[in-house]
Amino acid sequence: MRTYLLRTTGIAAVLGLALTAWLGLVVTPPDAFQADYVRLLYIHPPLAWVAYLAFGIAALCSILYLWPRTRSLAVDRMALCCVEVGVVFALLTLVTGSIWGRPTWGAFWVWDARLTSTALMAVLFIGYLALRKVPGSPDQVAKRAAVAAVVSFVDVPIDYYSVQWWNTLHQTSTLEIGAIHGSMAWALLLGFLSFTLLFAWMVGVRYRIEATRALDAERALRDAVAARQREGGVMVEVGV
Amino acid sequence: MSDAVASATFDDELATPAPRPRIKARVVVALVVIVAAIGFLLVKGIGSSLNYYDTVDQALANRSQLGTGQLNLEGVVRPGSITPTSKGTDFFIEGTKADVWVVNTGSPPQLFQANIPVVVVGHFDSPHALVFDSNQILVKHSASYIAANPTRVRAPNGTVR
Repeated sequence: MRTYLLRTTGIAAVLGLALTAWLGLVVTPPDAFQADYVRLLYIHPPLAWVAYLAFGIAALCSILYLWPRTRSLAVDRMALCCVEVGVVFALLTLVTGSIWGRPTWGAFWVWDARLTSTALMAVLFIGYLALRKVPGSPDQVAKRAAVAAVVSFVDVPIDYYSVQWWNTLHQTSTLEIGAIHGSMAWALLLGFLSFTLLFAWMVGVRYRIEATRALDAERALRDAVAARQREGGVMVEVGV
Repeated sequence: MSDAVASATFDDELATPAPRPRIKARVVVALVVIVAAIGFLLVKGIGSSLNYYDTVDQALANRSQLGTGQLNLEGVVRPGSITPTSKGTDFFIEGTKADVWVVNTGSPPQLFQANIPVVVVGHFDSPHALVFDSNQILVKHSASYIAANPTRVRAPNGTVR
């Protein structure tokens, strides 16, 4: 991502989040049932959405890596960056959900299908990050990780549809905007947009770091090879 | 060094397999922790039951199998039935065919009220009675969000009426 685009995305994310906070805390009314606890609505579902999005892009990049025609370390790097950011958002989803659940449900945590599959999703992608630390050539590491990402992604649709497939304490999907009062729906939509921009900015910055690191490693390798070649030349000259 | 010796040494190097990369102990520990965590989550959450609760109708239909075993039971709190007691709160939860009297020990959640779906954690008092001993009430709210006072307007001086 070009610098100005990345910077613009970051600024837009900050402005959007500030506006979401203002709408969520000041402008929108309390809910008829949940009263002020409803204000967690403007961050919790957007955080979950971003986690899904991140893991979705990571899975897509992983498939591209596994497909020989589209294999490149660039898509592997993108998958890594998305998973790293996605794990942060998945953990924040669990934390905010827990904070919301205590006063509304009456419990920080229950072992229903939605909460369990969300926790599993976070753990699976933390496992992905751990797997990447296992030594190997860049191709080996990328292939292992790509398989892990694709396998782990299976949990994402299960997580999303769990509230429809099984009896869960967690409410059904919040994405049915028609069931949300006017200004509350707008605040929620803005929350989705702002957190998505934040995600794009975080991944952009993270990708740039990773690409620079790869470039440095390549440069260091090239320098080392050149140094060895020079050494070899000197040795030939002195007749060793 | 003669060419033959140099060549042999080079060939030997080629023949020797590259040393396998050593997996760091902390990575192994991390993987073991992750696998254990996944196993725990599967057993605890998904392994036991995918449905977190039975509705009143489902529970009554399977009454003979359920007996007095531990159960999460869901139903809507019948208006006018909430009775505070010295131990907690008693109330009816409604099914389509029959209602169940819940005897709860402990404080209900803040949002507990009539006409809302709740999940009560506990067991039936006896294999045939419609009395449920509960030690936890969980409020199940919907995904509908409606303003508490939708008709309120903001006056020109900034106050809300």
